[in-house]
Amino acid sequence: MTDSSSSLQTLWLCEAVRLREEQTGLLEDSEACRKARSAPGSLAQRLQVRGLFLAQRDGLVTALQHWLQGAKLAVWLLIISALIAGFILAKTALSGTPQAINIFWALAGLIGLNILSLLAWFFSLVFSAQATSPLSHIWLWLSNKLARDAKAVQLAPALLVLLQRNHLLRWGLGRLLHGWWLITLTTALLTLVALLATRRYGFVWESTIVASDSFVMLVNSLGKPAAWLGFALPDSELIRHSGLQTLDSEQARQVWASWLLGMLLIYGILPRLVCSLLCEWRWRRGVKRLQLNANDPVWQPLHERVQPSSERLGVIDAAPSQLPSSTAGSHITGEAAVIVAIELDDSVSWPPELPAQVLNAGVIDTREQRRTILDQLSANHPARLLIACNPQRSADRGTLHLIAELSRTAAQTQVWLLATQTADERLNNWQEQLDALKLTHSRSAPWAWLEHGDE
Amino acid sequence: MSDQSVPLKLAVVGHTNVGKTSLLRTLTRDTGFGAISHRPSTTKHVEGARLSVEGEALIELYDTPGFEDAVALYEYMEQLPKTGERLDGPELVQRFLKSSEARQRFEQEAKVLRQLLQSDAGFYVIDAREPVLAKYRDELAILAMCGKPLLPVLNFVNSAEQRGPAWREVLARLGLHAVVRFDTVAPPEDGEQRLYENLSLVLDSQRPRLQRLIEHNQAQVLVRRKAGYRLIAELLIDVSACRRSVHPDHLQEAMHDLHRDVRQREQQCVEALLKLYAFRKDDAQASALPLEEGRWGDDLFNPATMKQLGIKVGGGMAAGAATGVGIDLITGGLSLGMATVVGAAVGGLTQTFRNYGERLKGKFRGERELTVSDNTLRLLAIRQRRLLSALELRGHAAQAQIQMETPLEQQWREGELAQPLQTARAYQAWSSLNGQKPHLDSTRAQAVEELLSSLSQQHANSASS
Repeated sequence: MTDSSSSLQTLWLCEAVRLREEQTGLLEDSEACRKARSAPGSLAQRLQVRGLFLAQRDGLVTALQHWLQGAKLAVWLLIISALIAGFILAKTALSGTPQAINIFWALAGLIGLNILSLLAWFFSLVFSAQATSPLSHIWLWLSNKLARDAKAVQLAPALLVLLQRNHLLRWGLGRLLHGWWLITLTTALLTLVALLATRRYGFVWESTIVASDSFVMLVNSLGKPAAWLGFALPDSELIRHSGLQTLDSEQARQVWASWLLGMLLIYGILPRLVCSLLCEWRWRRGVKRLQLNANDPVWQPLHERVQPSSERLGVIDAAPSQLPSSTAGSHITGEAAVIVAIELDDSVSWPPELPAQVLNAGVIDTREQRRTILDQLSANHPARLLIACNPQRSADRGTLHLIAELSRTAAQTQVWLLATQTADERLNNWQEQLDALKLTHSRSAPWAWLEHGDE
Repeated sequence: MSDQSVPLKLAVVGHTNVGKTSLLRTLTRDTGFGAISHRPSTTKHVEGARLSVEGEALIELYDTPGFEDAVALYEYMEQLPKTGERLDGPELVQRFLKSSEARQRFEQEAKVLRQLLQSDAGFYVIDAREPVLAKYRDELAILAMCGKPLLPVLNFVNSAEQRGPAWREVLARLGLHAVVRFDTVAPPEDGEQRLYENLSLVLDSQRPRLQRLIEHNQAQVLVRRKAGYRLIAELLIDVSACRRSVHPDHLQEAMHDLHRDVRQREQQCVEALLKLYAFRKDDAQASALPLEEGRWGDDLFNPATMKQLGIKVGGGMAAGAATGVGIDLITGGLSLGMATVVGAAVGGLTQTFRNYGERLKGKFRGERELTVSDNTLRLLAIRQRRLLSALELRGHAAQAQIQMETPLEQQWREGELAQPLQTARAYQAWSSLNGQKPHLDSTRAQAVEELLSSLSQQHANSASS
């Protein structure tokens, strides 16, 4: 696609790619996304970069050209059909005895179907969501057939969905519909003029039950708008006479012919022309305003791919090969049995009832307590040291380091993991860490060991 | 710092195992960021992630290792200044970073401090279940030495044993008054907004940038929700339009096939929703949602499930209700159902009549029509809506099953089905379950659109009531 390609075609291709992905899952788009991410601009622009890239890669762009050629050909076929239809319309309207053409039958033949179709269109405009007509179906079908490209099949639904979403389908297909009728009726008008110019027709009206006064009124009121444009309006005398017999006067024929042409112009061609212009105007305005609405939920799955709202930046400061670890130890000799607790909060009542020989060193939480107790224990090494920990807290390096340091002041050390309700993962972690320090641990207090040193 | 083109750098710091990586996962909506476990020191490196809005990088978040040895570090730092020398906080930290212990025993702590010094501010993540131990105070004191604004983030506040008030008191004493409650597993709906708002309290110059991020995130919530409802609407239209003609002899088999296909279609929607909300479909975390193959799938055609969700099973044809399948039993072959009439009135006549003709042919061959029953459609709608609400409230760090709030879905339990679904009944071609590509015409698009807006309308109603 070049830059000059219209935004409609771009959006159309993006839509086709999207529909395809919706049906068959996301395409392999790493390159497309990379391109989109590096493209400057808004999310919508990036989505278009991605869509266009994928369309190009998968041959949709050429398919689009084929489809457009097919569509153009289909339009030409429709134009030809409109020309033929117009010719037939005029021909049928003036068929029958040329001397006595029924003026109202001719009129109904010329504009009857057109008025019905027009009314149906207005009806759908007001009441129905349906924007398609049989004519547009034919055009789409023809375009698909004439494109002669298998991939082009995906394009027509995409166009319809795209136009529908932007409320353009009605106007786009309306152009087609009204254009077709406009050509048909104009051809009919020209054919009519040619026929009237080259052949002699006489006009009558007939009725069994309608009074001639009503006809006079009908003809006059219908013909009034045409009269403003300079078309002839038969006077009441002429109308009455035409009801009785075919008038041979040249003037009468010309007046009726002029009236008929005026009717076709006013009630056939003019409304279609107005509708065509309306559709053309809405279409052009709509196409000019057409843009990809990135906030539409249909595009949501692609947001993160073309414009990630979060990206990983990778590791800035690498992990060390090995974390500093503590090693437990023991002092050669010591006296007495000491119990010390680490990081206990008020939810645990401390100290418990202690056997008589056991010294309570208190709780270590703050830096000062830590220093004091370590100083005390280093001055009077205990023979057996029991360290109580609440396994609800995490076994972090600081705590383990403290436990290791405490163990080095005593001849023997054990850890008491208090029997608080603890998540299994935490408890397991404590046990693993203590095993790594080679310290004995238990969930109940080893009082016997603490008092007497036996296991 | 006032330079708007350079992303705002934020370090996520805190004790080990308090959920720093979880916070990053939730804020970046990236379930694969870093590693999460119950063990301490899971993260041993500093890893970054960037948050962008409309392609512009706004914030860089840095996940750091946990602080573990604060007490010893504080003691070490206390003896760093030479006698008579006065060092302020950042100078002291610098002195420490140059020391050899910063490469040995306190290597992890040094990483944290180095990162915080390079950042504009820090999130201090707290496990609110922990008591305020002295080691945490020392940790805060050391982090405060860096001279960067700190915003405490209370994690695990949904837990029963949380001690938020105690933490707030201690933090207030340290001059940290802006505190955010943010559970990374189930963040409150306005959690991110409050997080960034509070951050702009401590980083006033960055207010416009943070405001932009907040607005972007809020808009994204709406876009995502709408996209989610669109997926659900597509599912419902797909299933509703499904209609299969079968010979009575093969009825059981056909019903079985239909069940399987509808389940598969639902699974497809579930996966699409998970993807939309940036959860991985093969994520072990996602399996904690009630969508294991077994449960989520097999319940679909079980009348008990319907009863559980308050869908009235009685009323219609008992057999149909029990199998979740509506069987058009036609006498004379002409009662094609109201749906056809409705469909014909609303949409294109040609298509309907073509459809009608095909079906009439089937009737004369003595075939029966299988459709998915209204009750199954209701069930699908309710389940998918619940899933959507659950995903909206799920943090990207969540590993356990979450509590789902029950949305108001009264409309789906009884009464008429939504109009677009009734219309869809008449359009076999709309369904992907009929063995062919769905006909994506504009009427179908319109029906999806209508259903989507009715679904989101109900969401808005249930949110406001």
